[in-house]
Amino acid sequence: MKVLIIEDEPELAASITDYLSGESYLCETAASFRQALEKINAFEYDCILLDLMLPGGNGLDILQEIKHRKREEGVIIISAKDAVEDKIKGLQIGADDYISKPFHLAELAARIYSLIRRKQFNNTNVLRQEEIEVNLLAKTVHVHGKVVNFTRKELDLLLYFMANRNRVVSKTALAEHLSGDIADMLDSHDFVYAHIKNLKKKLAEAGATNYLKTIYGSGYKWES
Amino acid sequence: MTRLLNKPLRAFILYSLVVLATSIPAYYLIIDYIWRLQLDEHNQLVSKKTQNELSTLSLNDTLLKQSIELWDRIQPGTVLEPVSQAEMRPDSIYTVLRPNKYDPDGYINRFRGLSTYFILHGKPYRLIVETNVEESDETIAAITVVTVFFFLLLLGGFIILNKRISVRLWKPFYRTLEKVQHFNLSRQQNIQFEDTSIKEFKELNDALQHLIEADMTAYRLQKEFTENASHELQTPLAIIRSKLDLLLQSSTLTNEQSDIIEQATRALSRVSRINRNLLLLARIENNQFADRQQIDLSGIVNENLLMLDEHLSNKGIEREKDIDDAIQITGNRTLVETMVSNLLLNAIRHSPAGGKIKVQLSARQLRISNSGNGPLKEDGLFQRFSNISHESPGSGLGLAIVKQVCNRYGWEVSYSYSQDFHVFTIRF
Repeated sequence: MKVLIIEDEPELAASITDYLSGESYLCETAASFRQALEKINAFEYDCILLDLMLPGGNGLDILQEIKHRKREEGVIIISAKDAVEDKIKGLQIGADDYISKPFHLAELAARIYSLIRRKQFNNTNVLRQEEIEVNLLAKTVHVHGKVVNFTRKELDLLLYFMANRNRVVSKTALAEHLSGDIADMLDSHDFVYAHIKNLKKKLAEAGATNYLKTIYGSGYKWES
Repeated sequence: MTRLLNKPLRAFILYSLVVLATSIPAYYLIIDYIWRLQLDEHNQLVSKKTQNELSTLSLNDTLLKQSIELWDRIQPGTVLEPVSQAEMRPDSIYTVLRPNKYDPDGYINRFRGLSTYFILHGKPYRLIVETNVEESDETIAAITVVTVFFFLLLLGGFIILNKRISVRLWKPFYRTLEKVQHFNLSRQQNIQFEDTSIKEFKELNDALQHLIEADMTAYRLQKEFTENASHELQTPLAIIRSKLDLLLQSSTLTNEQSDIIEQATRALSRVSRINRNLLLLARIENNQFADRQQIDLSGIVNENLLMLDEHLSNKGIEREKDIDDAIQITGNRTLVETMVSNLLLNAIRHSPAGGKIKVQLSARQLRISNSGNGPLKEDGLFQRFSNISHESPGSGLGLAIVKQVCNRYGWEVSYSYSQDFHVFTIRF
C-alpha cells in the first residue's frame, strides 16, 4: 500500500517511513507544497499524510486540490497547530482523520490502517489473523468460528495491535490510545494491564494462539 | 473624597471671606476719616463766615450783644460767647458724644466740634461750631450689612460658576476617566479619546493613548509568544516521540534500556501535555473560543464520569453523584468539557486510594469534592504551575485553565476544605 507523507520536517518523515515500511507499506515523502502537488499529480496513493504548515503554501489547499479532483485517497491531517478551527475546516473539506503532533507512531499506524481498510473494503471488511476473524461492521470477533464477546475497549485494543503487528507498542501509547489526553494525568497505567489481561484471557479461552507478547519494560507486541 | 473642583472653591470662598472681613474696618476708617475731614472743613467755613459777617455788620456794643444772644438762641450747633482775655486759646477740633436736644428719643449722638477764638470790636469771643456726625457703630453696621450682602453674592456666584465649569470645562476629563475605567487589557480594544481643545486634556489623552497602546502591544506579544513557543515545540516533540517509538523496535534492547525508553516516553508525554495546556491557555486568552452555544452540562458531567469510571474503580475510589437533569449553560463546548474533565481528574488524582469523590450539579453550581488530608494552600491555587507536587505530577495548569474558563464566562470558582474534603465549587 502506498502512503505519501507530506511533511516538511525530514526527521519526522523519516521516522514515519521507517516505522511503516516493511509492513506492506510503501512510503514516499514530500517536503514542500510544490513537491507535494507534483507527487499527487504523478502518482496514486492509498493514503496521504498531510502536514498543514508547509513551505510554499497551506496544506489545506492541497486538500482542496485532492478533493477537487475527486481522488480516492484517504487523507490524514498531521498538524502542530491543534486548533479546533483547523480540524473542523480540514474535516469539512474532506480529510478523513486528524492527528495532532506529537503523536505515537503506533497511533498513526492504527489510524492509517483503519482508514485504508475503510476505503478498500467499502466498510464491510472482515479482518483475519489465522483463526481470529474480526467483523468490523458488526463489531464481532470469531475465534475458530465461535463468537467471543469483547468489550468495546478490548476490541479497540485488538485492532490497534493488528494495525501494529510485529511492532513493539509502548504502554504509554496504549494508555493514550485508550484514554486520550487524560492518560498522563493518571498516576498509573494499570488500567492498560487490566484490559490487556482480559483480552489475552478471552483469546486464550477461545483457543487462539498467543500472538500478543509482553515485552518486559517496554510494552507489547503482536506477532504474526 | 472631595472633588477636585471643590478644593479651589473652598479656598476662594475662604479668601474672599478674609478679604471682605478686613475690608469692613478699612472702609470704616476711610469713611470716618472723610466724614471728619469734611465736617472740620464745614465747621471752619461756618466759623469764618460767622466771624466775617459779624465784623462787617458794624453794630454797636448793645446791638452786638443782643444779636449774639439772638444768634445763640436760634442757631443750632453753635455757641458764640464773649470770653475774658485770659481764656483765649488757639483753635481746637474735638469730637464729643452727648444727647441731642432735638432728638425726640434723646439718643446719644456724636458731634464734631470746632472751638475758635476771635476779637470783635476789641473784645475776645469764643465760637463753638458743632455738627452731628454718624456714630461709628452705625457706620460699621451699615458697612457690615453691605459687605455680607456682597459676600453672599460672591458665594452664590462661585458655586454656580463652579458647577458650570465642572460640567462644561471638565467634561473631556471625565469622559477620559470613564473610558480608562472601562478599559480591559485582555479585551484588546483600543480606546478612542474624544478631541479636546484644551491643551492639558489633550496631553493627558495623548499620554494615556500611548500608555495603553504600549500595554496592549506588550500583552499581545506576550500571549503570542506563548502560543508561538508552544507551536514551535510541537514538531521537535513529535520527532523525539517518534524516535523513541522507533528505538523501542530495536531487537537488541536490554530490559534496562527498555525501561529507560519507557521513562523517557512518559516524561515526554508530560512535556507534551504541559505544552498543549499552555497553548490552550494562550488560545483562551487570545479569544479563540469565541463562539457560544447552549450546552447540556448534565450530559457532559455524566459522560466524563462514565469515561473515568474505570480509573475510579482502579484506585478504589467511591463515587457519589447528585446531578440534576438537563442543566443548561451557555459557553464554548470545548472549554466547558475541558473545565469539567480537569476538575474531575484533579479530584481523582488527589484522592488517596480508597477515598471518595462527590459530584453535585444544580442549576446554580457545580461542586466536585474529594477526600484529602488537610487543606491546600489557597494562595495561588489557580495560578499556573503553583500546585506542582512531586508525588503526583500533573501539568500544573489544570486549575489555571478552569479559572480562565470561569473568568471568561463570569462564573466564580472557589476552593474550600471541609470535613476532610477538598471542595471545588463553580457558581454560574
